[in-house]
Amino acid sequence: MDNTLIDVKDLKVHFFTDEGVVRAVDGVDLKLERGRTLSLVGESGCGKSVACRALMQIVRNPGKVVAGEILYNRGAEGGQAEIIDIAKMDPKGKEIRDIRGKEISMIFQEPMTSLSPMYTVGNQIIENILLHTNLTKEQARDLAIKLLDQVGIPRADRLVDEYPFRLSGGMRQRSMIAMALSCNPNLLIADEPTTALDVTTQANILDLMSDLQKSYNMTLLFITHDLGVVAEIADEVAVMYLGKIVEKSDVYTIFNSPRHPYTQALLKSIPKIAIKREDLDPIKGMVPNPFRRPGGCPFHPRCPQAFAECKVLVPTTTQLTPNHSVQCLLYENFANRIATEQKQ
Amino acid sequence: MVQTTPMNKSLAPTPEEHVTESLDLEVASQWKLMWWKFRKHKMAIIGTVIVIIYYTMGMFAEFFAPTHFTTYNEQYVYAPPQTIHLFRDGKLDPYVNGYTFVRDPISFKKTWAVDETVVVPISFLVRSEEYKLWGFIPGSLHLVAADNPRDPFYLLGSDKSGRDVFGRIIYSARVSLTVGLVGVALSLILGIMIGGVSGLIGGWLDNVIQRLIEIIMSIPTLPLWLALAAVVPLDWQPLQVYFMITVILSLVGWTGMARVVRSKFLALREEDFILAATLDGVPRGRMIMRHMVPSFLSHIIASITLSIPGMILGETALSFLGLGLRPPVVSWGVMLQETQKVAVLAISPWLLYPAVAVIIVVLALNFMGDGLRDAADPYQ
Amino acid sequence: MTAQAPLTPTKTVEMRDENTILEVNNLKMHFPITKGISTRVRGWVKAADDVSFFLRQGETLGLVGESGCGKTTVGRCIVRAYKPTAGEILYRNEDGSVVDLAALKPDEVRPYRKDIRMVFQDPYSSLNPRMTVLELISEVLKVNKLESSDTIQTRVGALLEKVGMRPEYMQRYPHAFSGGERQRIVVARALITNPRIIVCDEAVSALDVSIRAQILNLLESLQKEFNLTYLFISHDLSVIRHICNRIVVMYVGKVVEVSDALEIYTGPRHPYTEALLSSVPLADPNGREGRQRIHLEGEIADPSNPPSGCYFHPRCQYAKERCKTDAPELRDLGGNHFVACHFAEDLKLAAVIK
Ligand SMILES: Nc1ncnc2c1ncn2[C@@H]1O[C@H](COP(=O)(O)OP(=O)(O)OP(=O)(O)O)[C@@H](O)[C@H]1O
Ligand SMILES: Nc1ncnc2c1ncn2[C@@H]1O[C@H](COP(=O)(O)OP(=O)(O)OP(=O)(O)O)[C@@H](O)[C@H]1O
Ligand code: SF4
Ligand SMILES: [Mg+2]
Ligand SMILES: [Mg+2]
Repeated sequence: MDNTLIDVKDLKVHFFTDEGVVRAVDGVDLKLERGRTLSLVGESGCGKSVACRALMQIVRNPGKVVAGEILYNRGAEGGQAEIIDIAKMDPKGKEIRDIRGKEISMIFQEPMTSLSPMYTVGNQIIENILLHTNLTKEQARDLAIKLLDQVGIPRADRLVDEYPFRLSGGMRQRSMIAMALSCNPNLLIADEPTTALDVTTQANILDLMSDLQKSYNMTLLFITHDLGVVAEIADEVAVMYLGKIVEKSDVYTIFNSPRHPYTQALLKSIPKIAIKREDLDPIKGMVPNPFRRPGGCPFHPRCPQAFAECKVLVPTTTQLTPNHSVQCLLYENFANRIATEQKQ
Repeated sequence: MVQTTPMNKSLAPTPEEHVTESLDLEVASQWKLMWWKFRKHKMAIIGTVIVIIYYTMGMFAEFFAPTHFTTYNEQYVYAPPQTIHLFRDGKLDPYVNGYTFVRDPISFKKTWAVDETVVVPISFLVRSEEYKLWGFIPGSLHLVAADNPRDPFYLLGSDKSGRDVFGRIIYSARVSLTVGLVGVALSLILGIMIGGVSGLIGGWLDNVIQRLIEIIMSIPTLPLWLALAAVVPLDWQPLQVYFMITVILSLVGWTGMARVVRSKFLALREEDFILAATLDGVPRGRMIMRHMVPSFLSHIIASITLSIPGMILGETALSFLGLGLRPPVVSWGVMLQETQKVAVLAISPWLLYPAVAVIIVVLALNFMGDGLRDAADPYQ
Repeated sequence: MTAQAPLTPTKTVEMRDENTILEVNNLKMHFPITKGISTRVRGWVKAADDVSFFLRQGETLGLVGESGCGKTTVGRCIVRAYKPTAGEILYRNEDGSVVDLAALKPDEVRPYRKDIRMVFQDPYSSLNPRMTVLELISEVLKVNKLESSDTIQTRVGALLEKVGMRPEYMQRYPHAFSGGERQRIVVARALITNPRIIVCDEAVSALDVSIRAQILNLLESLQKEFNLTYLFISHDLSVIRHICNRIVVMYVGKVVEVSDALEIYTGPRHPYTEALLSSVPLADPNGREGRQRIHLEGEIADPSNPPSGCYFHPRCQYAKERCKTDAPELRDLGGNHFVACHFAEDLKLAAVIK
């Protein structure tokens, strides 16, 4: 039985701004397996947030999903497959609204922006429960308290009536998680949920999330730029650069034998606690301006292993092993592509 | 491009990116960036053009108005607006038609009718009635005027003394628009000084100033204006009254400005770049003028633009109620005073044109201010 | 002052040894809490409370701790952005004479400002967007008349090159640069006065991973070239590990541990350091299942209303009765390892590096 929950195929999200078109997500393929954690990692501006917002059809204006499929299997695990394409849905339609917050929910980096300061934490969780289930108000409130308790909020029965601004950052993020879990989602998208937190709080939240994931058996899409966090939480890792997924494999392969020059360089440029290195090996240059993306392989201006073809040929996905793919000409047999592209 | 000598290949940013960058954007100052942002707002641009036209006309009223605002012709009282005909006998030769009396067959009242047979020749850029620009530069050139100054030429009709409404609206612009400008300038000076003291020195002084502002702000504006305007002595010279009115308007207007300035100073004190300048040993005066004021000046300009309409409306309202400027000074409010009698308004509705002038400029200033406000912070 | 100074036995203006360039003794910075319109003080935020450490010439000292523990406050006291409430900041001039910066009046500090400079966290908010790079970097020279105006350009240009930027960019405004380039400008601004000490407050925290490494390398090579001393404030223990020789760990306004960098990671002696280190995610998935993490219960203490005794006791898994009443002093355990815990000698704490 196929265990795929969401299959993203060639997703493209473009922003149509006054200054030009930003190809924020530029042909992304992703497979989210049930009950697994996929970590999307990349530097600021590479399109992580936009890609996961597209999964819920909440891309901000002037962004649009311009191509691709987001095939979502609604059916119960092991049961009859019931596949729908989220990319085709109207962002304001009823169909997607039923999915949002119920089957797919999301937590953000800054919980204050997604929790309303006007209502108590409990109210907001209860609201979401009532919207998507047939529970009565009392039942919803009990469930909310149970959820808050489960995410490790002390004295949940009292905190349920607190306003978000009275809580610390860690507590807010916990209540966000409780809210996201309130309808028992199939997929939880976490967009840098620990970036604004202290390491000690981050450690607690990460542990909490992996515990919850096991007990709910949900799929987790975890977005971060911190490779340390990736190593802690991910089963699968997708490395993103300029709107493309340049390498994808399980977490051990990515850290132990990365193949894409960008992944290799990224891992070399981070300071590590265990080993003291004399000099870090930074990636030269910087992420290009979104309006001036280089042609050919988007990484070629910064790539230490670039060769002539990298400037002109856009790499396609090469499958190294069944679960390890990479977009780099080093691993691609591009001889016949040159021939065909020259003919055109 | 000149090649640098990088200390180490990994330290220097790669040159490729920079070559492609457009130099334009990079050396653009704050004002250039603001202009680029501002020009994206169509309405703001339109508003700005209108405002510029208004102020230019007000400034050179002698040139734009066909006759002086005191010029009257007792033969043509409450004459209706005329239309300009550009061609006569197929040739470019602009003229307007003269007037004749008709008796209304029912009410037997004397009313005006256009007399197609009478032709009043007019010309553009013509030497006609003599004037002294700003009271001292003699001249006689007009944008458009009747060839003979004694001929009736009333584009927007005439008033109870046979004076040209169009010309008077233009002369009024000079008064009404500058009342707004001077009033705003006064409240700006007061606002920046008091707000600056409040925000920079703080402590009990700040407390006292804030309470004072709250008290002034809690008094409704119109009654306060009325009360203040009522004590202006009747025998004052028009010029004195004019300044008194601007002072009254700005006495109320400075409070908002002071608050903005104070909060900007307070917010700036927390900024890292101000701390950096402090650590550089930048003296206080330079800190205020070089670092603090420039970073909110654009916001202030935007809010000035948005507060001029209030001043213009304030002057108009006071004069309309007879508490502001008084004839022989002419302002839109003074002109509108005549429309208070319904009977007059019924037979000569063109006397309301000053109100149209007010509405257009108020809207234009608002659009312009909105655009400026959006452009005020070009770094977002 | 009631507390006795642990690092200086007497209260003369004397420093530990010739090698010490800066010594902070019992530094306190308390901010008043006022409410609403009244100016009455309702209490004090003890952002820094009895902080003591020293800086050796040419080293990099790391200052770590959770958000709100007072790292920035200490850094700003040293550059005298704040006038400390109490305590000493002894600075050794190049000629060997010692001055207490904490005691100086604002205008007396001026000559020392060029010796002790600061690099800020946010490269966006720390550069005035309305000034060109040249104006930004050279302002300190101009207002202090440190360089004649005709040679300023050459000096700024040469320095820009040192930090890896093109001198031609001098006339540009900061908005034309990326975060990493801006941070280079900020570093250049700190360096222009030929300082001896630079306080880096989260200097790389706002930067992307690849840019972070560039700036860290830059800071290291500049340190070698100009014999700089860094006080490196950060909450990122991996960065601290990479760049620092010694480390000061803070918790709620107090120093809890000071030691050589490697020793902190191989043998922490304070329970808070142990917990902090065990929370750091290691960029290595191998063997992650077997890893033990210490969960700190409860919230970090409020600096305006700290707990009794040891501030850490409500969250400490080793706390005993005594911790609730007695505040532990910062004690020298030998080998320049200072710890503020009653049981530092007896506890067996886990290390991140074996
Ligand atoms: N509202 C928008 N208008 C225009 N461009 C946008 C908008 N939102 C995002 N983008 C562009 O899309 C690209 C990807 O943005 P995204 O927010 O997904 O990055 P990210 O990987 O999440 O980065 P970060 O780590 O900073 O959150 C960026 O280059 C950005 O310029
Ligand atoms: N100017 C100030 N007035 C009042 N309280 C302040 C002031 N500056 C800092 N504080 C308080 O002092 C405490 C320590 O703040 P500080 O900024 O030094 O912490 P930090 O360790 O730098 O934290 P972070 O890692 O978040 O930067 C905090 O509780 C803060 O709220
Ligand atoms: S003194 Fe006590 S409470 Fe404080 S750290 Fe040591 S054991 Fe824990
Ligand atoms: Mg993002
Ligand atoms: Mg700080």
